[in-house]
Amino acid sequence: MKTFSGDALTRQKWLPIAIANAVFSVLLAFASPAFLSLANFQSMLVQSAVTAIMAVGMTFIIITAGIDISMGAILFFSSALFAQLMIDTQSYLLAFAAALCCATLLGGINGLLVVRFRMSPLITTLATYSIYRGMAIHMTGAQNIPVPREMGFLGNGRVFGVPVPILILLVIVVAGVYVLNHTRLGVYARAMGSSTRSARESNLPTAPVTIMVYAIGGFVTGVAALILLARVGGLQSGIGIGIEFTVIAAVILGGTKLTGGSGTVIGSVFGAFFLVLIENGLNLMNASPYIYDIVRGTVLLAAVMVDRLSVRRQQKALLAVKAARFDQPQSVGSTT
Amino acid sequence: MLQDKAHPLLSVRNLTKSFSGKLVVAGISFDLYPGQVIGLVGENGAGKSTSKNMLCGLLEPTDGQILVNGQTVESNEGHAHGISAVHQELSLFGSLTVAENMCIGALPGSRLRVDWQQMQCIAREQLNFLGMDIDPDAAVFSLGAGQQQIVEIGKALLHADKVLILDEPTTSLTALEREKLFRILDKLKERGMAIIFISHFLEEIYRVCDSYIVLRDGHQVAGGALAGVSRRKLEALMVGRALEESADHGDVSDTGTEALRVEHLDSADCRDISFAVRHGEVVGIAGLMGAGRTEMAEALFGLRPSTGSVHVQGALLTERSVAAMKALDVCYLPEDRRNNGLFLNRPVRENLSAAAISRFIRRRLLKLGFAGERLATQTFSRAMGISIPHIDVKVDALSGGNQQKVLLGRWLASEPKVLILDEPTKGVDIGAKFDIHNRIGEIARAGAAIVVISSDLPELLQVSHRILVMRKGRIVGEFRRDQFDSVKIISLAASTGEEGLAT
Repeated sequence: MKTFSGDALTRQKWLPIAIANAVFSVLLAFASPAFLSLANFQSMLVQSAVTAIMAVGMTFIIITAGIDISMGAILFFSSALFAQLMIDTQSYLLAFAAALCCATLLGGINGLLVVRFRMSPLITTLATYSIYRGMAIHMTGAQNIPVPREMGFLGNGRVFGVPVPILILLVIVVAGVYVLNHTRLGVYARAMGSSTRSARESNLPTAPVTIMVYAIGGFVTGVAALILLARVGGLQSGIGIGIEFTVIAAVILGGTKLTGGSGTVIGSVFGAFFLVLIENGLNLMNASPYIYDIVRGTVLLAAVMVDRLSVRRQQKALLAVKAARFDQPQSVGSTT
Repeated sequence: MLQDKAHPLLSVRNLTKSFSGKLVVAGISFDLYPGQVIGLVGENGAGKSTSKNMLCGLLEPTDGQILVNGQTVESNEGHAHGISAVHQELSLFGSLTVAENMCIGALPGSRLRVDWQQMQCIAREQLNFLGMDIDPDAAVFSLGAGQQQIVEIGKALLHADKVLILDEPTTSLTALEREKLFRILDKLKERGMAIIFISHFLEEIYRVCDSYIVLRDGHQVAGGALAGVSRRKLEALMVGRALEESADHGDVSDTGTEALRVEHLDSADCRDISFAVRHGEVVGIAGLMGAGRTEMAEALFGLRPSTGSVHVQGALLTERSVAAMKALDVCYLPEDRRNNGLFLNRPVRENLSAAAISRFIRRRLLKLGFAGERLATQTFSRAMGISIPHIDVKVDALSGGNQQKVLLGRWLASEPKVLILDEPTKGVDIGAKFDIHNRIGEIARAGAAIVVISSDLPELLQVSHRILVMRKGRIVGEFRRDQFDSVKIISLAASTGEEGLAT
């Protein structure tokens, strides 16, 4: 007997992106021998860590059929808060705690607004995007603030030879997979994304679940902010601009449906890695960096198109079943 | 489940519900004993679904009491009191597994660790009891409609063990699946479960139930043991109201030329539809919800893929689309007017002129704007009897009846030759209904061919010269005005067998 089944059907969802990663890696290995080195893979993983960590949180939000555009702003806000507190108090403990707590809180506020006022998540987080970023700029006076040199450990350090960002990513992914597949929160989140009406009729705790998933999104963004800050070496005003779109792209590439209901944490991580892989490939081919965005957008478009095609095929099959139903004799059970 | 058969599980006293002053359910009362199956019957809009929603706790009753095991229930929460409903539209989660769907109301294990093994056991046990061979790990969207129905019943039974309410459970089932469902209901009955069975299909009522309640316009008009009550009597009770005959409905002369001819129209939800409508004629299309009437009209207008041929004024249409139809003065007034027909946040003026806007556009250089639009729409709104303060009021602010008149007025503004109306008086008060019926008569007398799709049989009997009956996607009968018989029409629309095909 199978021991767990939470993702019996979602299990294959991340397979296409995993295969895409593998195929692309093989192609790149042929194109350049330098590609197939442990060092290169480690560096790609480190590069993808920030997006991948945020993508884990975004997966939860998108699975409930929500979205969070303000993630980049939360990233910037918690970076700014951390840097400012380090300058003001010199206390690592305080700065870490404040950055993570505030990030979680800001995410939770998004969820609260969405669920309490029944607002569209897109518009709500578009507004909070502006508010959060504005608050951060107001707080720092739009200055660039360096962080202490020891912070570098979070971004570039190693434990047992493994880069720290990869370790943190691993912890977040394991936790994410567990929560999505083995806790009530995970089941409720998938259920709510699958059908809001059914969730209401089944009396599910939609409000706390919504707030929780956005708070999770905020928390992992806070973690990502610390890694990014460590890698960059200090607060810069451009941090986090546009990153939510890379994160959403990673989640969609990973097979999670924007309409909610199904998706996997693993898929999103593969999606984030794939985006770095493309960049790496273009780099190896000495392509102009200006075309990166074009390629990234095209890949996302292609992924969504393939997904739509498969949905349409399913709908066609459903129609066929319906049509067959009408052709069946309907004479059983007549009493007159 | 050893329960005393002498005491009712569920008692309902004078249950009443009104929405913004409009009485929808006007005091129903009954007792439900263990092992009893009550059939709740009535026409569309008789208040069956509202009653169901009050019983399972989705709606708060305006008045009346619900007693479970003799105890008055203060605020009904459905499954907290052992009452559960299977809604016509299933409340399942497509992307979750069968086991997850069944157990979602009370997941086994702790908050932080769902016990998948136990969940599987529960689901398997439930499926075994229901006699269904379904994999608990299968995603629900991958199941057929019949299996989904069983999963929903399994889910409902896990939440409630006293009273099960089934709302039109067979509409999406095949004959075989239906029989399976009935056997499951028999089993539940033996276990002492009480069941409320809501259905249009009287054969099913006789197959499953031992008591009945007839609702008509929200009132409980009859009830009691089913044995000895003839099907004809039940139908007569459902249709009930006396029909006020309109005087001026002379038969159309058979000489009117053919305006619309449909031949072998085939689509996913309608099969082999053929009929013709003459100028000056009103043809009604009767049938139950889900009989494929709206789908037929949409297929006719190219709104959904279909095969077959459509002739307008004798000419074969090569390409079916709304634009092509409009060019030939063929109009369609959709059922869901709020979503499909009206521009809610635009003024009445624009809504009225939208279909005929080309008539108002000035085509000379430097003369923009819509000449005469205001005057023409004012004339129209007066002719239609639309009660509004001025012509620039937003449609959103109007009552349902007035909205419908605006929509009707829009298509009349384009002076159609063929008009297809889908539920033209749905949600409209009596006065507006009367106005709309009169307008339909006037347009027909002016030479238009009209098709009226309606679930309101008295309305069809009132306005039509001829009625076609649809069932399960096919036209199964035709009645001329001198043959009109509401009981016959209802029984033809609702029967499941092939009897009565020839009329």
